[in-house]
Amino acid sequence: MDHTAQPRSGLFLTINRWRAVAAAAASVLLLATPALAHTGSSAGGFVGGFAHPLFGPDHVVAMVAVGLWGAFLGAPAIWLLPIVFPLVMAFGGVIGILGIPLPGVETAIALSAVVLGTMVALAARPPLWVAAVLVSAFAIFHGHAHGVELPPGADIVAYSVGFVVATGLLHLTGIAVGLLARWPAGRIAVRTAGGAIALAGVAFLSGFG
Amino acid sequence: MSGFVAGLLHPLALPAHVLALLALGLLIGQQTARTRHVSWAAFVAGAAVGLTAIAFGVGQTSAADVLHATTFASGVSAAIARPLPTLACALLAVIAGVALALDSPPETISIAVATATLVGTGLGASLTLAIIVTGTNYLTRVREWNWARLGGRILSSWIAASAILVLAVRFVRGQMF
Repeated sequence: MDHTAQPRSGLFLTINRWRAVAAAAASVLLLATPALAHTGSSAGGFVGGFAHPLFGPDHVVAMVAVGLWGAFLGAPAIWLLPIVFPLVMAFGGVIGILGIPLPGVETAIALSAVVLGTMVALAARPPLWVAAVLVSAFAIFHGHAHGVELPPGADIVAYSVGFVVATGLLHLTGIAVGLLARWPAGRIAVRTAGGAIALAGVAFLSGFG
Repeated sequence: MSGFVAGLLHPLALPAHVLALLALGLLIGQQTARTRHVSWAAFVAGAAVGLTAIAFGVGQTSAADVLHATTFASGVSAAIARPLPTLACALLAVIAGVALALDSPPETISIAVATATLVGTGLGASLTLAIIVTGTNYLTRVREWNWARLGGRILSSWIAASAILVLAVRFVRGQMF
């Protein structure tokens, strides 16, 4: 019996795919330079809070990627992620507001675009808990960055509402676009978008953000 | 604008109060009929106690922080969307009612106008909560409208996220308690 010939099963392909993802992530980490794409330039009030996530391109692409991935993962992830993500991100925001340091925040934010974009590009469907843990971990870093950059004189109720609503709408935008994956052509478009997000993340990591 | 009308609109004029009523309404609206009725009555009773305390000249309180905390608790519970024990839901409602009322002192010197404002505030908050509870309950009962249930849960999580951020900032700024 020939043991050298590996069966081309779905499991084998999945393992190889995950190895490729891990190798790509590791190489990107080794070459990484923080992009510091969060400029933190927004004033107080609802408009300031609403605008803040929209002016961080690394934040925008990662939030959209969460929505795109949720659409690929299907139920219950598609509705679980937009419910859980804001709460976990707020937890990260609280850590940032309280001044508790978190190492490598900007690198982690850029890395979130790489990883989440890659997941979309590969149409990866890991178990729900893996996706939830991965997204939640990145959510803490995104929240921390926003918490640290909160303008001191802001009307905090209006600002936080604007900030959370903008983040949530980015999610929903990603989900709406991700629903195109129901059709073959849309599936290609969504996966291409995921690839573009991953490349943007690499650019952020390399200092081109 | 008369004191009564100003009071009636007061809960809708402050974003923190709107969020508190919305989160509590979304939570109560998901519950059974008995829990809904008891919780709404508990809110009205709590608001009445808080407004009476203001009428008797209660001083500075930490009502705003308590209100944000109840908003967070209500938002998280509504996002989880599991049935709550009647007692727990009613307790949350009564605390929210007292906090909202204590956070609504009338800005007037005349006793008559201040009384009308307080009555208006209590009525406005209670009616607003009743409308949100009824609307939420109607939307969640329609079996085909799964989007409405999910929308309510997503909105609740957004409100809870806002509330916890507000509490953290108030703590850091030394505005808490």
